[in-house]
Amino acid sequence: MSELHLTDEILMAFADGELDEPVAAAVARVMALDPAVSRKIVEFQQSRRLTRSVFASNLAPDVPTELRAAVAAQIEVYETANKAGKRPEPAEISRIWPGRLHPIRVALAASLAAVAVASGYFIGRQSEPAAGRLAHLEDPFVLKELSRLEAGREVELPVGRLRVISTYRLPNESLCREFRLQSASATVGAVACRTDGWKVTFALAEPAKGPEYVPSSGSDLVDAYLSNLGAGTPLRDEAEAKALSELGR
Amino acid sequence: MATAIGQELVALLPRLRRFALVLCRSQPLADDLVQGACERALAKADSWTPGTRFDAWMFRILRNHWIDHLRRMRTEGMMEDVESQTQLIGDPGEEPIMSKLALAEVQRAIDSLPQEQREVLALVCGEDLTYREAAEVLNVPVGTVMSRLARARKRLVEMTAAA
Repeated sequence: MSELHLTDEILMAFADGELDEPVAAAVARVMALDPAVSRKIVEFQQSRRLTRSVFASNLAPDVPTELRAAVAAQIEVYETANKAGKRPEPAEISRIWPGRLHPIRVALAASLAAVAVASGYFIGRQSEPAAGRLAHLEDPFVLKELSRLEAGREVELPVGRLRVISTYRLPNESLCREFRLQSASATVGAVACRTDGWKVTFALAEPAKGPEYVPSSGSDLVDAYLSNLGAGTPLRDEAEAKALSELGR
Repeated sequence: MATAIGQELVALLPRLRRFALVLCRSQPLADDLVQGACERALAKADSWTPGTRFDAWMFRILRNHWIDHLRRMRTEGMMEDVESQTQLIGDPGEEPIMSKLALAEVQRAIDSLPQEQREVLALVCGEDLTYREAAEVLNVPVGTVMSRLARARKRLVEMTAAA
């Protein structure tokens, strides 16, 4: 037996041609002597071939006309804007999928968003006073968690279950977080941005749902709102951790 | 002036749809993801370095977009919904080596893998990314890519050998 400890990962890397020369040569020597090793390597080659065949068969060359047209339209918007040397307005880009983000809703969201930036805006679907529920969102427990909970995690608080969805850095350097607060009576999707402290700038409430799932249109509006702020792509992992750690200073 | 990526984006659409389907297993949702990812890519075209792999850059954007989508939509009902969607299998006519039956067999085996193994298998064995490129797309260390990939492939061999 060889002294080289050949893990499955090393044999796989050999089969994939991913090993550096000295290690690859050592594996090749063992392979020549040990049928069990060479069988494993052959199996790794085989699994790659099988997978490749399946993926090749899944490659539908015909992209649906709607998708192709939608992407072509996006490209057009961006390339025209680039030639003119400006950033395209998010509202110019609309999605065409039926039942998803309708262009009219994009326009609506864009105008709502403008109000939201100025004053903190609340879109409710029930008669409960909006201000009361907005206060709910700015509960000290919620604000505290906004400064430390990483995106994708959730925590049970006295006011409900809080999930932080994503974190963004705006062009003006302020930090914003999209979150969802679920209580017995309603689920509220909201965005809070931080200047001196956290301030909820956008919120969208939906009455509490029954066990059956109803697709929510709310996330599209929040998406449009964030895009309107110029939020760009969310901060991830270390970038988010760094941004949160800087809040305390 | 931003880098013009339009042409490459259009050329990549079939492969983006294929990878999106690996992630979400629903064709309408996959197409929606692809569209959203294209929009993000266009908005940050400057962050792609010409000369590096455009496909790997796009796969990363697509996958991040999918994760954001999950974070927004995370509702148990939704996940079950997506999981129960049927997988579309394309016309295997272009691969004469394997019979349609054998392909369906392997497809079923791939579908039964956990998500984290399926996506790494798709990137390395389906899309021919190197381990390092796949690690960047998935935002995990190379060692994690290797262990997930080795497990996925051992499982595939076991399942298809038993047939």
